Amino acid sequence: MGKLKKKGQSGQAKNYITRTQAVKKLQLSLPDFRKLCIWKGIYPREPRSRKKVSKSATASTTFYYTKDIQYLLHEPLLQKFRDQKVLEKKISRALGRGDVGDAARLERNAARPDKTGKPRYTLNHVIRERYPTFIDALRDLDDCLSMLFLFANLPSTTAVPAKMIARCERLCLEFEHYLITSHSLRKSFLSIKGIYYQASIQGEDILWLVPYKFNQRVVGDVDFRIMGTFVEFYMTLLGFVNYRLYTAVGLKYPPKFDQLKDDQGAELGAFALEGVNIATNDDTKAITNGEAEHGPDPKVQAEVDKIVQQLRVESDDKASEEGPADDVEGEEKPSDAIDKFEPVAPGGDVLPQPSYSSSDPAQLFSRLTFFLSRETPRQSLEFILRAFGCKRIGWDSVLGEGSFTTDESDPSITHQIVDRPVVQAAMNEEGDGEDNQTSQKVGPNHRYPGRLYVQPQWVWDSVNDEELKSPELYGPGAALPPHLSPFVKPTQGQYDPTIPLEEQQSEGEAIDAELEDANEEAGEESDVENDMDVASDEDEEEEDEEEFDGVSVSEEEEGSEDEEESATLQRQRELEAEISGKSVKGDKKMDAKTKAKLEAKKALERKKKSEAEDLERAKGMLSKKKRKLFEQMQYTNNKKSAEDLKLRQKRRRLEKEKKA
Amino acid sequence: MGSKITDKKRKSRDSESESDDELANGLFDGILSQSEDEEDYLPSDDDDDVEDSENEGTGASEDDDDDDDDDDILSDDIPSDVDSEEAINRLVKQQEELEITEPGVDPKREEDDGADRNYRIEKDANGGERYVYDEIDPVYDSDDSDAKGPVNTIGDIPLSFYDSYPHIGYDINGKKIMRPATGDALQSLLDSIEVPKGWTGLTDVDTGNPLNLTQDELELVRRVQMGLLPTDLQDPYPDTVEYFTSIEEKMPLSSAPEPKRRFLPSKNEAKQIMKLVRAIREGRILPYKPPEEREREEEEQEEVHFDLWQNEEPQAPNPMHIPAPKLAPPGYDLSYNPPEEYLPSKEEREEWENADPEDREKEYLPQKHNALRKVPAWGNLVKERFERCMDLYLAPRIRKNRLNIDPNSLLPKLPSPSELKPFPTVAQTIFRGHEGRVRSVSVDPTGVALATGGDDGTVRVWELLTGRQVWSVKLNSEEPVNAVRWRPTKDAFVLAAAAGEDIFLMVPTHASVTPALDQASRDILATGFGYATNGQQPAAPVSKEPAAKWARPGTKLEDEGVLIRITVRSTVKVINWHRRGDHFATVSPTGQRSSVAIHTLSKHLTQIPFRKLSGLAQTAAFHPLRPLFFVATQRTIRCYDLQKLELVKVVQPGAKWISSFDIHPGGDNLIVGSYDKRLLWHDLDLSNRPYKTMRFHGQAIRQVRYHRGGLPLFADASDDGSLQIFHGKVPNDQLENPTIVPVKMLKGHKVVSKLGVLDIDWHPREPWCVSAGADGTARLWM
Repeated sequence: MGKLKKKGQSGQAKNYITRTQAVKKLQLSLPDFRKLCIWKGIYPREPRSRKKVSKSATASTTFYYTKDIQYLLHEPLLQKFRDQKVLEKKISRALGRGDVGDAARLERNAARPDKTGKPRYTLNHVIRERYPTFIDALRDLDDCLSMLFLFANLPSTTAVPAKMIARCERLCLEFEHYLITSHSLRKSFLSIKGIYYQASIQGEDILWLVPYKFNQRVVGDVDFRIMGTFVEFYMTLLGFVNYRLYTAVGLKYPPKFDQLKDDQGAELGAFALEGVNIATNDDTKAITNGEAEHGPDPKVQAEVDKIVQQLRVESDDKASEEGPADDVEGEEKPSDAIDKFEPVAPGGDVLPQPSYSSSDPAQLFSRLTFFLSRETPRQSLEFILRAFGCKRIGWDSVLGEGSFTTDESDPSITHQIVDRPVVQAAMNEEGDGEDNQTSQKVGPNHRYPGRLYVQPQWVWDSVNDEELKSPELYGPGAALPPHLSPFVKPTQGQYDPTIPLEEQQSEGEAIDAELEDANEEAGEESDVENDMDVASDEDEEEEDEEEFDGVSVSEEEEGSEDEEESATLQRQRELEAEISGKSVKGDKKMDAKTKAKLEAKKALERKKKSEAEDLERAKGMLSKKKRKLFEQMQYTNNKKSAEDLKLRQKRRRLEKEKKA
Repeated sequence: MGSKITDKKRKSRDSESESDDELANGLFDGILSQSEDEEDYLPSDDDDDVEDSENEGTGASEDDDDDDDDDDILSDDIPSDVDSEEAINRLVKQQEELEITEPGVDPKREEDDGADRNYRIEKDANGGERYVYDEIDPVYDSDDSDAKGPVNTIGDIPLSFYDSYPHIGYDINGKKIMRPATGDALQSLLDSIEVPKGWTGLTDVDTGNPLNLTQDELELVRRVQMGLLPTDLQDPYPDTVEYFTSIEEKMPLSSAPEPKRRFLPSKNEAKQIMKLVRAIREGRILPYKPPEEREREEEEQEEVHFDLWQNEEPQAPNPMHIPAPKLAPPGYDLSYNPPEEYLPSKEEREEWENADPEDREKEYLPQKHNALRKVPAWGNLVKERFERCMDLYLAPRIRKNRLNIDPNSLLPKLPSPSELKPFPTVAQTIFRGHEGRVRSVSVDPTGVALATGGDDGTVRVWELLTGRQVWSVKLNSEEPVNAVRWRPTKDAFVLAAAAGEDIFLMVPTHASVTPALDQASRDILATGFGYATNGQQPAAPVSKEPAAKWARPGTKLEDEGVLIRITVRSTVKVINWHRRGDHFATVSPTGQRSSVAIHTLSKHLTQIPFRKLSGLAQTAAFHPLRPLFFVATQRTIRCYDLQKLELVKVVQPGAKWISSFDIHPGGDNLIVGSYDKRLLWHDLDLSNRPYKTMRFHGQAIRQVRYHRGGLPLFADASDDGSLQIFHGKVPNDQLENPTIVPVKMLKGHKVVSKLGVLDIDWHPREPWCVSAGADGTARLWM
């Protein structure tokens, strides 16, 4: 017989520890504890049984794993926190004595990252601990990037020192530079919250949100100390990630940063990437598109540009010609690309291989020259265009330093991105795009010939569809096609706005819709009928609701009611026809059409009913637990399908309106 | 004007001091021997002074004056006389005196002041010195030491700026200082011819006057130009006279030996120095740098870049660690230009706006902007980020198994309803006649007759389809008939019924029974009598009371067709036949150790198989195929091998009180009904525990029964007055599990004093079942 176990001595009661206990154990202040938890990635746990853990205390507390807290005890940062605490005590004591000079000296020695933006400690070891491999770090980069991009756009306040913002901005731009050189940006999405970007780095999909370039409004209770703690960690993380990424593609980190250019608003252009070896230098130069070029007058420059472009195209062609030639030569030149495995003998399994021959993101915009009008968001456009291979982007000098050309009339420009409405006077001209482009007219709607004018959405849609969209739809002032999220994966049965309505509506809906159409055609003059329609619609809805509840009581009764209703409907029609003095015949013709539909509808309902019955029976066979699970799932599914139904209905109405 | 006044004052003071000098001379004659000589030089000084004052006339400052005085002092020492030796001696003496006199008093100073001293030294009453100061003339500026003549206030700019003006600057009161008249070229020529004393041809920068220098000044300039010492000292660096350090006293004040510390290096200092050295070495003490430079350096230091994951080694993720879930990617409705169907209608918008922010399903409303430039900033972005941060560090994470499966896959695969048919659905016939409850029903193996037994002590036989009573016998006037069971073979027509402690075997006679069959039945029952009379009952020990008494029930009953009465020790509740019809088992739950009995018809023999039984026996049955015997106690069902006479298996349904069980005709499955409302399906090969537990009844289950005629049906009867029919298909494949589908709930029996349906039986071939109710009826369901 073993020892009797005492309550609260082992198991759950010992595995968990409340926050207060943890703070006491670590001998920290609560803010310091919070900081430590954020950095070390320690979060509270929900015990399986709160009662056992809390030892009958009912107050809602947060619990941590005891092991987690024990692990914190060995943290070197703990000592730093304690030192800081001691220092603060000293300062307060000095101030209490009125020893201001002493206090100032101590204060100077203190590390105050919340004021200066730089700590006296490093978080390197924490990052290494939390992310033992680089892939782990990449996996967790979503929040990091969203946070840093947000902070890069914040106004500096006492809570957010300017240095922190500057550093965030630098790190973000460096990361963007990596994406540009490695062409690893995949998708982007203009949402109402900001711009979402998705990159694929070493097989990890990273999604982050960049706010639009506006002053951020800070609403209500936002504790910047907590955010600052996160940002401190993320800055360190992104610094190391950037280093690793840069070195992986053979670049030197940190890249050269030109303060002067940055002050002039060059942003991306303020950095000059340097290759570790000289081979990569060509690329890096291309990013800072030849500043020297736009010194002389535009004509000469245009010619030079043309020649350069020709040369480039030729070299590109050559390169593309050489590509296959290399392949022919075969083994002589080793390449990084994946080799295609062809089965030699039949009978083997086919293994899927990634192929990037179809659409290389580096090639999408590589031959184009863009010019950004003043009203377009320069930063995001520049980034996304460069990331998809564009080498030459010009913009108005108002938008900052670093453009390929500030001259709008540069003939090498192939695309101009405009986001301004067409001025009324030129409305008649605005009719079709090509005329506009050929007509040389000076004024607010002045168009240079030989280039395409598109709205910014064109860039995003092209990127997401991996092909250049036809620019007609995106002309200046045109009503844009809807901008769709590239992150939604179409699932079976879910509403998809890209697919025509007919392909995704259910049978019942289609019949209902047609019936409605027929009714509308026939019964425009009779209001009563419409009322009836509404009534029947309501009935349907009720039915739906009942189905959603998962209860189908008194189905038979309903069925009979329906029949009765249709009979009364018929009678009513006849009566109306009599009153209006029209022959019942016309109605009857219509009836013949609709009758079939009605019958089909009835058959459908019958089928539904029987299905529901089957479902009930089957549900009876499930265990209680499983039944609950099933009902839950059904509830959510029904909710989703109801939403989809609503969307489809809306779309149907819209389409009808458009037709009319 | 003011300046003139001050000049006058100064002059008067000078004159006074001169007189003082004379006085002092007289007084200090004996003490300061050199003062006499000095006095000799003074007049020339005075001359200089006069000259100076003349020169300064317009604007020379008193500072200049003082300078001049200093010059005078210098010039004092310049021995204009020949005997230099005397001068040297005098100088040495003077210095000696300087050393001797109190260090605070500057003898030279005293001499200076001799010129403009404003005090007299008198002898006081004790004969000591007494300084008597002059009365101060309390006029304006009398205490102003800075009061000067008209000083040019233009500051540090060259005078050439004023070349084109008649004035050369401003005095302290803002009045113009006019340029002193300069003569024209002729005048200057004349001047050059008639050179005044000390003329240099230069112009004073400050005043614009011609700059005149004295002889001494010129001499000084010359000396500086020549690179000589500015003054005419013979020995600029005389040996120091060391009074205390180098002269060893003949009689020292203390003869104590030199302390050790004088010639040993100090340990304390060494310690302190080492402390500093260590601090420097460790970098705690840094050379001073201006703050901005230090900051820059720190920044550089801070940005240390290296490959953190240089030697990365993948670790198995901690099973307790739950990574934070990623935020869901944006959907179509978050687009700045979504498809129009995503835009909210007016009602939806109102509903969203009126709802409490916490109740909203989405934290945003889809919006449409027809151009990118019209998209405003998202006001909640910072807040959303902050909330995400809070979630990351504050929200407890739980691993939730999100079943990303089709909910329909959870549902068991049920056979289609057409496959489930046939099963009984309606009450076809109601058999009325019994007074009180009908306790037991049984359908005969041919499927024609139905036997019932009830509380009124009668056994009745009915025509199944019509519901006509064809035969009836009253077995006992006091005890109810607890069980009736037909012998399960078609070659005879024998019914067993139990009333109280008696078991009756009877051959009901009615129209459908042929005489031959009737005779065969009677023969079967009669054979045992011969066996019994032959006395071949070796098993029964004589001493003991026999387990049962086989006897004829008496002529009255025999006429009715009741042929044998077996009397056991306690009330029999259950009768179950062996499939061959030679044996039947009875159970009398109150009968202690003799509760289970097996009767052999052919031998008229009763055996009690269990000497001891754990728990109260509830019911017992033979296995339909193998020589196995099942006995149910309250909690368990035990299976015995009749050949080997051993316990084969114990089935534990987990019910609190088993009411009945039945064995599937295939022999591998078992259903158990219990008083705690449960119906349990056991797969005997699978486990001792139930394969399925069904709880569809609101009250206790009284009876369960499989269909014996090849249909996959079973039914249970419950005290809630209903029967439930299940489809229970046992597949031929051993690996497949049986499918159990509830198909029908038959309601019709009334609940009388909390008892509903007491017994059921299936038709041997058709999907019909018969139930016995507490309401005094039996019903045929088909």
